[in-house]
Amino acid sequence: MERVASATPSPIAHSVRGLSDRAIAWVFVAPTIFLLLAINIFPLIWTIQLSFTNYKANRIGREVKNVGLRNYERILTDTDIWLNMQATAHFLFWTIALQVLIGFALAWLINKKFKGNDLWTTIIVLPMMLSPAVVGNFWKFLYQPQIGLFNYIISFFTGVEPSSFQMLGQVNLAPWSIVIVDTWMWTPFVMLICLAGLRSIPDYIYEAAEIDRASKWRQFWTITVPMVMPFLMLAVLFRGIENFKMFDLVVQLTGGGPGSTTELTSINLKREAFEKWRTGYASAYAIILFVTVFGLASIYVKALNKVKER
Amino acid sequence: MSSFSVTDTSSRTKRIAGTLVIVYALITMLPLVWIGATGFKSPADAISYPPKVVFSPTLEGYVNLFTTRTRQTQEYLQNNPPTNWADEIVRQYDMVIVGPSKFGERFLNSVIIGFGSTFLSIFLGTLAAYAFSRFKIPLADDLLFFILSTRMMPPIAVAIPIFLMYRNLGLSDTHLGMILLYTAVNISLAVWLLKGFIDEIPREYEEAALIDGYTRFQAFYKVVLPQAATGIASTAIFCLIFAWNEYAFAVLLTSATAQTAPPFIPTIIGIGGLDWPAVAAGATLFLLPVMIFTIMLRKHLLRGITFGAVRK
Amino acid sequence: MTGFIRGVFRFRRGPWEMLATILIALGVFMLMQPFMMWAYTYSFITTLVGTVMFIIVSHFPE
Repeated sequence: MERVASATPSPIAHSVRGLSDRAIAWVFVAPTIFLLLAINIFPLIWTIQLSFTNYKANRIGREVKNVGLRNYERILTDTDIWLNMQATAHFLFWTIALQVLIGFALAWLINKKFKGNDLWTTIIVLPMMLSPAVVGNFWKFLYQPQIGLFNYIISFFTGVEPSSFQMLGQVNLAPWSIVIVDTWMWTPFVMLICLAGLRSIPDYIYEAAEIDRASKWRQFWTITVPMVMPFLMLAVLFRGIENFKMFDLVVQLTGGGPGSTTELTSINLKREAFEKWRTGYASAYAIILFVTVFGLASIYVKALNKVKER
Repeated sequence: MSSFSVTDTSSRTKRIAGTLVIVYALITMLPLVWIGATGFKSPADAISYPPKVVFSPTLEGYVNLFTTRTRQTQEYLQNNPPTNWADEIVRQYDMVIVGPSKFGERFLNSVIIGFGSTFLSIFLGTLAAYAFSRFKIPLADDLLFFILSTRMMPPIAVAIPIFLMYRNLGLSDTHLGMILLYTAVNISLAVWLLKGFIDEIPREYEEAALIDGYTRFQAFYKVVLPQAATGIASTAIFCLIFAWNEYAFAVLLTSATAQTAPPFIPTIIGIGGLDWPAVAAGATLFLLPVMIFTIMLRKHLLRGITFGAVRK
Repeated sequence: MTGFIRGVFRFRRGPWEMLATILIALGVFMLMQPFMMWAYTYSFITTLVGTVMFIIVSHFPE
């Protein structure tokens, strides 16, 4: 810092030495943009183009015909795919509802700043960072009737025979089995974001409310909830996007079965694209999913900026 | 803290809150503890009914995870006594170890692809983040949104054209192909997080360096980078964890040479179905590093999972 | 409300972004609701219009 005063070359001098700021900016950004163009945008454009054809990736010599909007038409009038969408909706709705409820409650409790809350928060957060495929595969073991821990614990508390129900094998239980694992895994995510929201509320607001003799209940609904809301929106949107494209966890747990009760859209898409090899059709399907996620993502970024301004 | 505050919670409330949180934490840990424990069970103990909480630990799962074995005749077993402890364990099933399993290889692939893609995304991401933070780039907001949105794409949707592209370029089932792919996914997180960290470094430091006679590049290299070191390290761990955990691309685009551990672990077969102790042993070895990193990261966790929106 | 309508006619960002957000949300709901088949059929076009609109209107002045 001492040398600052001694030498003060003019701004022109240092733009002559080395590259200009403008050039550096482009040199720095270009590789990233190039990589994303090559691995994300070019494939996306290719998918759009394929979605108008009847291309099949496993038959290379076959003539590729342009079918116009037929693929889209078939997907959007297919009742089976509509059912997959509803399975996804069930999964989305219940995971988000449970995670918001439990996550917010946990954050609220942790924010009471009891002794050792940091340690326990770290422990609670662990599942969220783990590999969903590996964990999902192990949950399959926990869900086994008779030998699995889950059924045994349920039977311990309710007295139901542990071998009398199959979480993964029964049509009425399988959709809930994936909700339970996802909730176990991702509640900490919602909790962390809620905690940040709670910690962003300055103490003086509560103090002012206390002077006005507002009840604790009223304080909760008029101060805590509205102040945490932007954070909660962020968490909900993010979980919504992630679970809309859910693949690894569920494919390991149930593989879409029994029947197609837990066949979420991504699993269905994988089947069309990489098992039936209807590449053109699957491309149209992919575009539909992609546009939906892209739409949600733009709302997410808006919510993100809102929280950032806080 | 003032000496008197109405927002202070009573010690009784704190105790109740603490108890509830600890109960939840213990329930949450149960499946993870069970994975760890199952790794040390014998196959018979692992599938016993009711599930065994108390059992005599054995390293069978780990031996099975790392080796391939074959059944031998009594005669052979008597003529060739076991050479080491692992062999001894296998002998109780009249088997002998014939070689290593594929697990080591798959684990190594995870390490190579994880570190390779992390290095590349941090390298490119730091440069881009610095440019976005310090220079006026036309359409910067649109570019940043474009970068973020690439992260949001459903992996299966992206995998269709990538599969075709890699097939044409000869990149399917190669380390390079997977490293490039994971870099492309991770770079959005890297740019967004690192931009936040660099934004926090006062511009005055660089300006002083520029006046001192440094070039822009030297100022970036000698002033900004050391200041951003913590941010870069935590971003790197986030990228590493993503690449480490990724499954969808790995299962669709790799099958042998470049297959990582997540698609491999669920396929470890024993006698009559999955060899659960070996699966649990593999899972333990695979999940443990991430748990350690998570504990190291805990101060930056929130920032990482919200793309830098929530800074705490 | 009048501020909203004025914003729409003056091509201000706020109200238009709100409209686009509602369209996207509606499209996503239509895609996954279990009630009406026709709503599912037209969900994609709704989301698409909302998303394209969002990209355009985010360049309107504040």
